[in-house]
Amino acid sequence: MKIILGFIAGIALVVVITLMYAADLMVNEYESPFGVEETAARVQANIQSLEHRGWKLSALRNPAKAVAAGGTNVLPVLLVEACSTTYSAPLLKDDKTKIVSLLMPCTITVYKKDDGKTYIGTMNSGLVGRVFGKKVGDIMAEVAKDQQVFINMDPSKPAPPLIRTGPGGGGGKGGAVDAGC
Amino acid sequence: MKKQRYIIGYLLFLIGGVMVSSAGYASAKAETMQKPAAAIPATTANTKKAKSNSTADHSKFKELDKNFNSGPEVTKACLTCHTEAAKQVHATKHWTWEFINPATKRKLGKKNVINNFCTSTKTNETFCSACHVGYGWKDDKFDFTEEAAVDCLACHDTTKSYKKIPGLSGHPNYKKMEWPPHSGKFRPATDLKKIAQNVGQTSRDTCGGCHFYGGGGDAVKHGDLDSSLKQPGKYLDVHMDAKGLNFSCGKCHLSDSHEVSGSRYAPTSIDKKGAIMRGKAGERNPTTCVACHDNAPHKEYAKLNDHTDKIACQTCHIPEFARGPRETKMTWDWSTAGKLDEKGHPIKINSSSGAVAYDSKKGDFTYDRVVIPEYKWFNGEVKFTLFGDKVDGSDIVKINDMMGGPDDPNALIWPFKVFRGKQPYDVGNQTLAVFHTAGKDEAAFWGNFDWEKSMKAGMASTGVEYSGKMAFVETEMSWPITHMVAPKEDALTCAQCHKENGRLSKVAGIYQPGTNSTPILDMLGSIVAWLTLLGVIIHGGIRVIQSRKGA
Repeated sequence: MKIILGFIAGIALVVVITLMYAADLMVNEYESPFGVEETAARVQANIQSLEHRGWKLSALRNPAKAVAAGGTNVLPVLLVEACSTTYSAPLLKDDKTKIVSLLMPCTITVYKKDDGKTYIGTMNSGLVGRVFGKKVGDIMAEVAKDQQVFINMDPSKPAPPLIRTGPGGGGGKGGAVDAGC
Repeated sequence: MKKQRYIIGYLLFLIGGVMVSSAGYASAKAETMQKPAAAIPATTANTKKAKSNSTADHSKFKELDKNFNSGPEVTKACLTCHTEAAKQVHATKHWTWEFINPATKRKLGKKNVINNFCTSTKTNETFCSACHVGYGWKDDKFDFTEEAAVDCLACHDTTKSYKKIPGLSGHPNYKKMEWPPHSGKFRPATDLKKIAQNVGQTSRDTCGGCHFYGGGGDAVKHGDLDSSLKQPGKYLDVHMDAKGLNFSCGKCHLSDSHEVSGSRYAPTSIDKKGAIMRGKAGERNPTTCVACHDNAPHKEYAKLNDHTDKIACQTCHIPEFARGPRETKMTWDWSTAGKLDEKGHPIKINSSSGAVAYDSKKGDFTYDRVVIPEYKWFNGEVKFTLFGDKVDGSDIVKINDMMGGPDDPNALIWPFKVFRGKQPYDVGNQTLAVFHTAGKDEAAFWGNFDWEKSMKAGMASTGVEYSGKMAFVETEMSWPITHMVAPKEDALTCAQCHKENGRLSKVAGIYQPGTNSTPILDMLGSIVAWLTLLGVIIHGGIRVIQSRKGA
């Protein structure tokens, strides 16, 4: 009886903990001192600064525009997409890890919330990568380090232009092939 | 033995956890695969081709069948039939650029106020009059009684080819000219005959020709008026939706004898008298939401009607402004104007989005899009800081202060765009400065970048001698938000206000359930809840043990 009770209590506890913390663990959110477009432009510039690590911009997507076309309003959201062949190549070569291509390209989301502030969202690549085993985990740990560079907002640098690679609104073409994804 | 049982229980707990997580993942995956993505609803409105319902075809009028050399010539032709039109226009704000506040008797209107955009029309009429419904206003000698100087085409053009060019004193270009300057693009000479033969009702294009471009460019000034409203989608304005209701400006801004209803200088903040019966003459403002929708418009959720005595319709139904693709200007810092490059040439620096973030002529700007408004009490009275009102640089100057408060029966909470700036003031005379910007003369700041000359010329135009000392003062100007009405599904939700730091959290003198908490009460509540849970567990445990013993 005690074993069964312990088992059920364990399941219940895990469910509660999973529900409470899983979402927060999988993603990271940071406040930006700049507006949505300038933040996205700065993320893009940071990505380009890591070209020596294989990073290239693949697209800038605006899902809010597609929503507007449907007659509804949402606060601005821009998705900055980038890829690095340094990291994608070994994962795509191996049949066991090809499924991880679902996580490509690396996406940084920039959005405004109801408090009027701009936020940057990233996947917690380090943690997510570990779920898929050592090889993916090691690579994603490197991606996580680069992500910290992507989101660095340095006010002493002038505002770079937003690079409108890919679609203006909610889908369509990107430069993914060029970017190595 | 007990230890062994706990170890087995612990192992099963871990296995169970993994199983539950996997099952949850699998079911979520299955659900995702079974459910197709929700389709984006298509707009249901029809797309009728606009057609004229006029009983007159102006192309058949012999008065208009000639090659006009100037705008006033066209006006004279118009007046042969519309004999009273010019007199009517002469009585309107669009012509006089003047408004006497009935309560304070202070002279307002574009001719008199100072704003924190281009600041003042004085001495800059040659440029500013591109948005005057007249021809030839270039200085204070303009004849406001001249009927032929009325510009009929600015409001009645239907060809979309009529454009009054800044710098031409309210005239369009009669000859081919480069526009914008130094752009390499050329505008053909205005075809006045074609335009005159195609006149019609006012439209979003004609009203928007000025009101969308106020403050020196598209979307600059108002925040809720920009060129995206020429052909807006439903998301941007539910009334003006080009494929839906397709309202023109005049649908709400009804006019009478050429005077257009609605005023920035004496706005209607509250209307308690319900919808206006069609055809009923009166003094009430027909542009308000209430004029059509009544004071209790929420049929499905009647509780919302309890808010209408304190909250303006716009507060919920325009949750953000500048929701189109255009950014609106949010700040303007004149104090940085005048920087030149090494060769002495003016500079322009763009923002990330491509808008001008610095211009030697004007200083620094910031922009934003889909902006959360600021909310304030407003009873319809606006107190302006006019030329001559004391400004000493110690405080932020409110160029137009919105009156009203929580105890004012005529005040509602309204949404505003608050435009912040830094602009020159005359330290010696303790007043906001009038300075000369546009023109080809030596005193124009945009040509010589010399504040002293610009200030001297500008202040002289007011009859006040420049003290010789200037500085910059921070200013704020508030713009009530009333256009870009969102579909009702996009109105503010309860939770956007009734939460900590909600939309109205900075509005003084209101209590909103759910917006704040009392730590002691919260702690007591938590203790009671936990004790209740503990009591249930203990009680349940005892019942289980007792039932076993009984068995």
